[in-house]
Amino acid sequence: MEEAFVSDNFSKCDGFLQSLDPRAKLVSFLTLIFATSLIRDLRLLIFVYMLTLLFAYISKIDLLFFIKRVWLFIPIFAGIIAMPMIFNVFFPGDPLIRLAYLSPGTHLGPFSLPDSIYITKQGVNSAVIFTMRVAACVSVVVLLFLTTPHQVLFKSLRSVGVPKIYVFTLEMAYRYIFLLTDMVREIYIAKKARTIKTGGMFDEQKWVGGRIGYTLIRSLDMSEKVHTAMMSRGYNGDVKIMQEFKMRNRDYISGAITVSMSVLLVLISQNIIR
Amino acid sequence: METIFDMRNVSYTYVGKINALNDISFRVTPGEQISIMGSNGSGKSTLLSLLNGLIYPTLGEFYAFDSQIREEVFDAIKDNEFRSYFRKRVGFVFQNSDVQLFSSTVFEEVAFGPMQLNMTPEEVKTRVTEVLELIGITKLKDRSPHTLSGGEKKKVCIAAVLANNPDVLLLDEPTAGLDPRTQLWLVELLQELGRVGKTIITATHDLETVAQISKRAIVMGEDHRIVVDGDVEKVLNNRELLLSTNLIHEHMHVHGKVMHEHLHAHYREHIHEHKN
Repeated sequence: MEEAFVSDNFSKCDGFLQSLDPRAKLVSFLTLIFATSLIRDLRLLIFVYMLTLLFAYISKIDLLFFIKRVWLFIPIFAGIIAMPMIFNVFFPGDPLIRLAYLSPGTHLGPFSLPDSIYITKQGVNSAVIFTMRVAACVSVVVLLFLTTPHQVLFKSLRSVGVPKIYVFTLEMAYRYIFLLTDMVREIYIAKKARTIKTGGMFDEQKWVGGRIGYTLIRSLDMSEKVHTAMMSRGYNGDVKIMQEFKMRNRDYISGAITVSMSVLLVLISQNIIR
Repeated sequence: METIFDMRNVSYTYVGKINALNDISFRVTPGEQISIMGSNGSGKSTLLSLLNGLIYPTLGEFYAFDSQIREEVFDAIKDNEFRSYFRKRVGFVFQNSDVQLFSSTVFEEVAFGPMQLNMTPEEVKTRVTEVLELIGITKLKDRSPHTLSGGEKKKVCIAAVLANNPDVLLLDEPTAGLDPRTQLWLVELLQELGRVGKTIITATHDLETVAQISKRAIVMGEDHRIVVDGDVEKVLNNRELLLSTNLIHEHMHVHGKVMHEHLHAHYREHIHEHKN
């Protein structure tokens, strides 16, 4: 929740990306992500990543916060996925570091293992490219989230053809996450206040399981009430929401530059342009 | 004169088992300010939901603006003209503000109602700006509901309902959980709305505000029936009635015309005989 408040503050800063129309930003960033996922050249990926840092800087975002936000999760998710790639057990390649020597014909269950286990050059290269690609893409997404207030961002999804009902549901889900989080926290505090001796692991797990069920029931009950509150104000299943965006020249120019750059990056990466 | 609401022997049961309202009959005419009084669980909120056409009588008949409100007619057809007319004329401020504040900003929340009534975006904008100004919450317009205080949330709820410019206002425990200043602000607002001819029906057990915001009181008993329907002053002066309907405790006193509640222990401060 605290992070949501910090993000909200960045989106209200008077920076470059904050001043762009959210639709132009969304389309540009989606194109850039698409292009980044096609790039195979490490140097180009680093270039895209540096570009996100530059834009974060001119959008008055705390660079350290931005870098931490991106890199805290990448080693966990991308790293785990990329890890097996570096060993010759899964993908053969030229040895870089020898880890262990096994006698010929070693088997692990039904699988036969190579004579020695080592980290491969090609494996490391692929893993670094993969991680860098994820980092660049995540940076672009984080930049989009940090520089756009969430309600505006959700609305701008309409410009890429997301139906009204999904946009509206997304907005409501985001709004009620806070309420339900508060409720869960209160349940936990209420328990803590009345806890004299802590129960065993099994009891605690049982309690948590029970509370998850209870939260679900409460949220269902609340959704029914919210629905009646909506009906009370004239809602009849047809969503009508306010949309006020104004595209200016600079939005069109920024969009065009990003799209052209994305195409260029892909062409360079595919060796079509050298 | 047109009748706003007409309840004829209405009963309501939840899931066919739990009795919430029993044989309720009363009429509401334009410009009336009514308090529905009753202890917790007496059926006040259910009665307001019925009056707002959100639920339908299990038994009996309910008429609004001289047309019967029935589920088959009111709920089944998507573009129901009468329902749009009803929603435009009747506004409901819920007890739990969080239920009512489902949009991502205060501005959008207030704009939600007018948008549903097919107003043009320009009209909606003007209306919302006016209402925010009236309630004095213009500075909150870009805030998210979860960042507001209880009093601010209540103000936004009221603004959101007033944005539809309804003739009839239904309020469920509006003063509950509000600080004294916000309570007073609300009472003054309701008085002002009453003066300009709005029909206001408030469900409450806050006896202090009842006399200030209404002229007629409908008292619900713990058996979910109407015990008394009459002049608010007479009701408030009827100590026996208030005691029997669990609206006051024996330790409540009347000073002049004002009912006061003093919290005190039996020991030393206050000694009296108990009947049993």
